[in-house]
Order: sequence, then C-alpha cells, then structure tokens
Amino acid sequence: MRFLFKTDYEDDIRLFPHSGYIYTYGLLLAALLLAPYVLSSYLMSQLVFVCIYATVGVGLMILTGFTGQASLGHAAFLAIGAYTAAYLQQHNVPFPVYFLAAGLLTGVVGALVGFPALRLQGIYLVIATISFAFIVEEILARWESVTHGNEGMRVKTIQLLGTSMSRDGPVFYYLCLAVLVLTIVGTLNLLRSPTGRAFVAIRDSETAARSMGINVALYKVKSFAISAAITGFAGVLFAHKLSFISPEMFTLQLSIEFIIMILIGGTFSLHGAVLGAIFLVMIDPFLTYLKDDMPGVIAGVAATFGAGTERAAHIQDAVAAFASANGLKGAIYGIIIVVFVLFEPLGLYGRWLKIKLFFQLFPLYKRATFKRQKIYVKSERNR
Amino acid sequence: MSKSLKALGLAVSALALTCLPAAAQTKVTNEGISPTEIVIGTHQDLSGPIKVWGVPVSNGMKMAVEEINAAGGINGRKIKLILEDNGYDPKKAVLASQKMVERDKIFAMIGAMGSPTVLAAQDVLFDAGVLQLFPLTAAEFTFKFDPSKPQERLKFNNLLPYVESTRAALKYMVEWKNFKKPCIMHQDDEYGKNVLDGFTQQLTTMKLQPASVTSYKRGASDFSAQVAKMKADGCDLVVLGTVIRETIGAMGEAKKLGWDVTFLGATPTNVLEVPALGKEAVEGLYAASGFEIPYEDTAKGKVKDWLINYKKMFNADANTQAIIGYNAVMTFAFYAQKAGKDLTGQKMLDALESGDKFLDIFNSPPTKFSKTDHLANTITQVQQVKGGRWVLVKDNLMF
Repeated sequence: MRFLFKTDYEDDIRLFPHSGYIYTYGLLLAALLLAPYVLSSYLMSQLVFVCIYATVGVGLMILTGFTGQASLGHAAFLAIGAYTAAYLQQHNVPFPVYFLAAGLLTGVVGALVGFPALRLQGIYLVIATISFAFIVEEILARWESVTHGNEGMRVKTIQLLGTSMSRDGPVFYYLCLAVLVLTIVGTLNLLRSPTGRAFVAIRDSETAARSMGINVALYKVKSFAISAAITGFAGVLFAHKLSFISPEMFTLQLSIEFIIMILIGGTFSLHGAVLGAIFLVMIDPFLTYLKDDMPGVIAGVAATFGAGTERAAHIQDAVAAFASANGLKGAIYGIIIVVFVLFEPLGLYGRWLKIKLFFQLFPLYKRATFKRQKIYVKSERNR
Repeated sequence: MSKSLKALGLAVSALALTCLPAAAQTKVTNEGISPTEIVIGTHQDLSGPIKVWGVPVSNGMKMAVEEINAAGGINGRKIKLILEDNGYDPKKAVLASQKMVERDKIFAMIGAMGSPTVLAAQDVLFDAGVLQLFPLTAAEFTFKFDPSKPQERLKFNNLLPYVESTRAALKYMVEWKNFKKPCIMHQDDEYGKNVLDGFTQQLTTMKLQPASVTSYKRGASDFSAQVAKMKADGCDLVVLGTVIRETIGAMGEAKKLGWDVTFLGATPTNVLEVPALGKEAVEGLYAASGFEIPYEDTAKGKVKDWLINYKKMFNADANTQAIIGYNAVMTFAFYAQKAGKDLTGQKMLDALESGDKFLDIFNSPPTKFSKTDHLANTITQVQQVKGGRWVLVKDNLMF
C-alpha cells in the first residue's frame, strides 16, 4: 500500500498524484493507439462508438454527476451538434471550422436551456429537459430548408488537409480518441479550478454554496453550457460515424441511454462515464457473440461429459433456438441494469474501487469503508 | 496550340479513356460462397418500435430458406441465414452489419429493415463489396445510384416506392370517380412525407389543388381535429399516409361525424390488420398495393400450401410482411440460380442486371432489373375492403 504524503495544495490537485498513474494511463493510451493495427474493423467500430458515447458521458457527468442537475435532453444537444456539422458541411465549410462551430452553437443553446432551468429542481428539471428535447426533435422535423425534415441528411466523410477520413479508418478513430482524451483532461482541469469546485458545492448543497458566496445561477448556466458544448462535439463525430442523420435518431430513448450510461458507470467520477460507455456499446455485440458461440461451447462440454454426438447436436440446437429467441437480448440487458441499480449503486467504477481496495488491504478489508453517512446526488439534497 | 501539346492532350485523353472502365469497375465480394453453402445476412427490428414488421418479415425469410434447402439448395448450395436484431437503432445496424461482413462473411445482405438503419449501414456493405438486396424501406436511396460511384451498383430494391404507388393509385381514383377536392392526412415522418410528395406531384400534373393537407405525429390516437378540418374544407377524397391504427381511427372519426367520403390509403394500409381490427369502420377503404393479399379459404394451389405451411411453422397467420420477407429471399435465390454453378459476386451482379424476370407465387407484377434501373417495378394495384376483406379493384396501374 502506498501512502501519499501531501505537503502542499499543489499535491492535492495534481492530475497524476503519483508515478503509478503515469505508467498505467500511459500503458492504456499506448494500447489504444496500437488498437487499429491489431483489432478488426468490427471491434474498431465499437471502440469509436465507445469514444463518442464516453465524450457525451463526460459532458453529462459535468452536469449531472458534478453539478447535480439531471438532464434527459442530451440527445437534443447531440442532434444540434450533428445537424450543425451536416448543414455546414453541405455549404463547404472545412471540418475544423464546423467542428468548433457545432460545439459553440450547442454550448450557446445549452446556456439558453440553463436559464429557465435555474428555477427548477429535481424531477421538474427533468421534465423541462425532456420538453426541450421534444422541441428540438420537432424543429428538426419541421425546418426542412435546413434539416431536410424527416428525410434526414447524408453526412459525407471528413475532408482534412486534402485527404478524406473514412469513418471506418484508423484516422477517424484517432480523432475520436483525441477528442475524448482532450475532453477528459479539460474536464479534470475544470474540476480542480474554482468553477469545478463551485459545481461540486452546488451539487452537495445549494444553500450552503450560496451562503459561501457562490453565484449559483451563473455556475448552473455555465455547467449547462459546458456540458452541452462537449455533447455537441460528440454530435459531430456521431454524425460522421453514422453517415446519415434523421430526427427519429435523437429521441428520448437516446437521452435515457445516456443517463443509464453514467448510472451504470458510476456518477461520481469521470471513470464512470468511460466504463458506462464501454458497457452500453459493447454489451450488445457481446451478447450477440454469446448467442453465436455459446451453443457450440455447451455442446462441446456436453460431449466431454459423455453425451453422444447426436445428443450433443440436439443440445446445440436447443441452446441455439433459445439463444436466438426474439427479445432475449433486451431482457438480459434489462436484468443487468436492474441488478446494477439494486446491488451496486456506485456503478462499475465503484465496484472497481472496492475490488482494488480489497486487494490493497487484504486481509483487513471492511465493507463498511464505502458506507457513507450522507449520500449526495439525491434530489432532496440538490437544493 | 502547338502540335506536341495537341499530341500530349490526345495521349492523355486516350489514357483517361482506357482507365475509365477500370475505375468504374464494381468490386463484388466472393465471400460467403463455399461448395456447400451460401451465407446471407439480414438485420431486422425484433425488439424495437417496428417489430410488428421485423418479426413476420424474418419469419418469411426463414421459411424461404427452409424451403430452398429442403429442395436441395441453389445449384447444390444450401442457404445459411444470419439474422441480427437492430432494434431500429442505426448504431446497432452498423455494428451488426460489420459483424456479419467480418465474422460471418456474408455474401449478400437481404431484406434489412428500416430507413435510418439501412442508410447508416450501407457503406459498410459497399466497401466490402457485399450486395444490398431488397431492403424493407421504399426510400429512394435504396435503388437510385450514381453511375460514377461503382460500389453503389450493389443496391437493388423490389419494394413498391410510396411516391410512385401513391401517384398511380391517386391518378386512377381521380380519373375514375372524377374527384375535385382531394385531401391528405399523413404521418409526420419520412414515410408520410413520401406519400405527401406523391400526392402533391400527382395533383400538380393533373392541375388540381389540394383542398386540405393535415398531419399527425407518430403514435397519435385522436384524429378528430384533422377529420373535422378536412370535412370543413369540403374534401371528396381523403388520401391516407397512415399505418394501421391511424387508418382505423381516421375512418372511424369520419363515420362518427356522419361524413360520407372516399378514403384511399397508401401501401402500408394494405395489410390484413386493417380490416381485421377496423371491422365496419374501414369498409369501403381503397388502398394502393403491390400484390394481392391471399386468404386461406379462397387461395388455391401453391399459395394455399404456403399459407398452411406458414401457420404450421410459426403458429400465426401469414400477413403481407411475411410475404415480403419470403419474396426477398426467393428473389435472391432465383438470380443466384441464374448466376450458375460456379457462383461469384460478379456473376450474381450480372444475373441481377440481366433483365430476366422473376415471378413469385403470389401473382405479383414481375421483378426485373437492368444495368441502369435497380428498382423492380412501379406497377400498382388498387384494392378495396369489402365485407372485411381486401378485394382487387384494378391492377396494372402506372402514373
């Protein structure tokens, strides 16, 4: 076990508290950089979606996890980013310009949403953000001269420095990874600044924050704007990855997916956003993989335990029929989420911290370590 | 211009000419073909908002595969169908397509479901040279292609497009009954927009003014405002860009108001569920359609056997959706057979573009493609609900 001896405020806010962080994250980054040369494009596609979803997750985490303002409208921010990119691309605006413009515009819209949201708490704020998302969906369907309405828009590949960046190629993956890493580093920086501390103070107790001299309204609007802008950047990448966008892709369901993502990951840390994104994107392909390969494996096991060839084939067919039943995947997915919410409210990252501490303190680990006297982020604590 | 420059220009253009055909060559995959098997893939909505389409379509496809395999396969090769769920989510459709191309090594993608899902995933297929055959969306992008982009030649569709079918049916109705004030009520999405486009285009050609244009949001269940408005505007023909529930709802509302008006539905209203659920409310409804819906007690021969087999296999009555799924695989099988014993991707493409006609067992208009036209046909019928059943009024319609 390592003890960090802090002698200075600088020690407390370091991005890398000790050398171990540099090695592990360095290793992770190296592995991610090498990924395109090792993995198939199917897995690379999943990684790209993980990067995009994780970027949204980080944005949502700033708002929900750190400022305590729930939002079910993030699909709309994603849509604004995506449509801005698609529209400007059609007007021959170069990629770096429309990338920044999309983030900026989404940030401004986020701030505009933030103002009326100042007076709303908890469930009412959620309702307000849902209505905002509906309004955006409606505008996308109606404003045909810009958005092409329900016909949707094709999004061409990114043109940068005279070369085109295929959505399945390694360069696009590096772009998504870079956006994610920059977002995470930027957010970490934000969180150790006065702004970030004000966000956390508002989350923990609005009254206390106000009495400490924090301008609650200003910081809430800031939080909305930053969160929306990050989601807008992700929206540009999302549009390019899917190469086609239409209003029906940015529904309430997508917003719910984003909230589920940070809940499963763990709402108190940025790790949660990334782990949640990995879960959300990869669970479906993983279940597909099980569906394809499990019957063979089970038949093999049955054969080694003495079942005849015919019997093994029969078992394989039965398992295959069960595994490809309609809606089974959805049910398994739902059960996993319910189990998480019931048994691990701290999410995947909370579970990881517990496992880590268990081995660090072995055999002295106590379950009570993670019991908190006060659980924040509950809606009644939001004021 | 100096002589040498001219010569250079000629040389360059000659070079360009010789290079052109090579550049325009479509890459078609040969993956998924083994001496004993052809692997095909599809992604359907089995758990999302349009699973009432996805499930019967995949049933129809499975049935076709079993039938073909039981009869010895295509030139001795059995078909293996890989089915994935896209949940009407474009992200899942992209991942499912990549999985099928890379892991399962499919030869062709057949009957994939939904506009956003098919559109988002199609480049994955084109890049790998996988044919995209007969997706379940009548949108233009599934058959219109740019000759300068060789990979786009891989798309084919056999579904009757909404714009063309609405135009043909509307033209027939207006000429037949001499309607003066046609109106439309359409769903507010891509499908409804297509019907509206067909409606507007045809009225412009016939120099008629629409008396009223109303719409509703997907999922709406109350149409009193729309129907009242159309009645007030004095419509004599109402075109419905609706699906099942809205068709019944709108016609029920008109009956309630005691408004006697003619209704003409777009192709999605021409399904068994409309008369089965709407009962007397939908009596007299006309609809555009691609083929006649068979009924078990009046069907004959092959169609009757098919209906009985379907019921036996899936414990449910066959519907239009199942027929479309079945036909998608059968059409593929027909052209794969044509492509010959030593099947390759290129031979398959040539067979599809050969112009040979495929005739299904349901007496649909013939399917035929050419090098420039990858849409099977736009021949439309008009049917009417009479005594709780769809009855053919007129076939072979064009606009």
